[in-house]
Amino acid sequence: MSEVVDNEDAKKAILQWVQSWDRGVPKKRALFLYGPPGTGKTVSVETLASDLDMELVQSNASDYRTAEAVERFAGRASQYSTLSGKRRLILFDELDGITGTADRGGLAVISDITKKARSPIVLTANNAFDPRFSSLRNCCQLVEFKKPTRTEVERHLRKICSREGIEAEDAALKLMAERTSGDVRSAVNDLQALAQGKTSLTYDDASWLAVRDRTDVIFNVLRGIFYAKDSLTARSTADMADVDLEMLFEWIYENVPYQVKDPKELAAEMGMIALADVYRARIGQTQNWRLMRYFVDFMTAGVAASWSKRSAGWVPFKFPTRITTMSMSRADRAMRLVIGTRIGRKCHMSAAQAAREVIPYLRVIFQNNLDMRNGLAQWLDLDQEMTEYLAR
Amino acid sequence: MWTEKYRPRSLDHIVDQEEIVNRLKSFVKARNVPHCIFAGPPGTGKTTAALCLAHDLYGEGYREHIMELNASDERGINVVRETVKTFARTRSIGEVTFKTLILDEADNMTSDAQQALRRTMERYTETARFILIANYSGKIIEPIQSRCAPFRFTYLPREAIIERIKVISQKESLKVLDDGVEAILEIGGGDLRRTTNILQTAASVGKPIDAETVYSVVGRANPYDIREMMLTALKGDFVGARQKLRDMILKYGLAGSDIIGQIHSEAFRLNVPDKWKVKLADTIGEIDFRLIQGSNEEIQLSALLAKLVEAGSEITRGQ
Repeated sequence: MSEVVDNEDAKKAILQWVQSWDRGVPKKRALFLYGPPGTGKTVSVETLASDLDMELVQSNASDYRTAEAVERFAGRASQYSTLSGKRRLILFDELDGITGTADRGGLAVISDITKKARSPIVLTANNAFDPRFSSLRNCCQLVEFKKPTRTEVERHLRKICSREGIEAEDAALKLMAERTSGDVRSAVNDLQALAQGKTSLTYDDASWLAVRDRTDVIFNVLRGIFYAKDSLTARSTADMADVDLEMLFEWIYENVPYQVKDPKELAAEMGMIALADVYRARIGQTQNWRLMRYFVDFMTAGVAASWSKRSAGWVPFKFPTRITTMSMSRADRAMRLVIGTRIGRKCHMSAAQAAREVIPYLRVIFQNNLDMRNGLAQWLDLDQEMTEYLAR
Repeated sequence: MWTEKYRPRSLDHIVDQEEIVNRLKSFVKARNVPHCIFAGPPGTGKTTAALCLAHDLYGEGYREHIMELNASDERGINVVRETVKTFARTRSIGEVTFKTLILDEADNMTSDAQQALRRTMERYTETARFILIANYSGKIIEPIQSRCAPFRFTYLPREAIIERIKVISQKESLKVLDDGVEAILEIGGGDLRRTTNILQTAASVGKPIDAETVYSVVGRANPYDIREMMLTALKGDFVGARQKLRDMILKYGLAGSDIIGQIHSEAFRLNVPDKWKVKLADTIGEIDFRLIQGSNEEIQLSALLAKLVEAGSEITRGQ
């Protein structure tokens, strides 16, 4: 546990409290660890259990915490000793995740177990002062985990780098530490994502994280819109999130067909998106940014309102491929226009018309017939790059 | 390209369009040309007529006396103001005292640009005559139309096109079989430029040209099929149809206006109840309007595809 970043006081408190169980059941039979994500709450308990050779029984946010579920996994555990003779440590992790309905009664059972426990119990949450936990708090000793400073996070990352044999630029680690604002776990995950298997890490490598962030944020906004319970919620999701609206539009446009299966609703949704696009065009033409709110209206509220028949399963979101194809073909289109201009000059057409009408035929000629290709390339004054483009 | 190699150089060599050719010849004789609008479908000889007129009027050095502009390349008012004015104001040397400005795709000009053009035409009418070329004369503003002599070009008749194919084939030593000629005619329509391009492309294969050769080169040149896309949507596969749409726009460079034009013709031929044909026509019209207003082609056409999916599902459910 000493390797956990900072929060010395907290760690000391945990150790002392667990050891107090050696002398008998303490007044407060549960420890409530609280603090921002990634500050070491869970890992402190895990390492402690390992250090003291205790059996760790653990649940976390992804388990259902109905009364039955909790009883099932922790009820017995809290009462009876282990087969191996080792002492048992019970961990209820990420309590913030308990929702009112799905995890009905779970909190009440946890409270119960805590009052009667014969083994040490540890709870963790981001915010111990959430009203839901008020009765639970009374039977717990509270231990706060504070956010480590950026320098501390950086130091931790540097330690990992030297252990893993990675040479990292100071600027890179500084950037990564800054980004996560105290969330060590996230910083370490980022480090692993970027540097695992490599021997060096530059500032440029680290800047990729910004791109990844935007995707995460967009995912959250998409969830907020697609799974919104009403149009108002959907609308406010876009308002509150700091996302590029054009990007968001592309994500919504790409994903509606995968999420919405009913043909009538699909048609209605695509219609809403088309309306949003009309406003987008109007904004472009009039430069009147006041119209932006209608653009957002249709792509969020309009989309959420037209969808009611939702399937139970979860369909993953797809990246808007249109964007990548568009940027790839930007180069293509530029080339086409240049070639089109050359054709147009000779054939008395506009570049656009030549690109649309003549290039397709030219392509086939260039692929089929070397003599014709050379003759035409010379006549049209095409360079090597253009000729190759057509002959592809 | 054969479209240029075999383009007539003088009014005497123009295929068909007798009435028009005769009128133009009379201008040449009188050494005077009014402002003109040449209107009609693509590939019917408008540009050729303008160039031949210039050639016959000014002689071999005619390029010195003309300027060719294409409104699609240079659409705005400023181009009209600057380029055209500079051209129009200088006097011509020689027997013919005016220069000729050929303005292609004039119906693509914004109405503001057309207004500016009209004023220029008026001011410099002594030193410059304008030949405006357009697909739809209706898109040219009325004040300009009233100042121009109208010339209406129509699709060439079958025989005229077959004749051209034969002439070119002979000069290029090609062997074209009868079914090949038919195939070229069918795909080319009355558009002589497209017909010539198809012929040249088919010739590049290097074998005697039969129907199969023609279809195969045209297929490779235009591997999109709008009808296919619509049927995919009707069957319920929106994502598949949308992908076809994307390929057309991004890979093959098709314009939204082309696609919607073809959708419009195909829509009435679909095997759907009349009630749905009308609904679709309404949607198509709305989307066409939005495209004209500048909305995004793929997004708007996707909404149309979704409507087709809806239509397809309702039809299978028997409504």
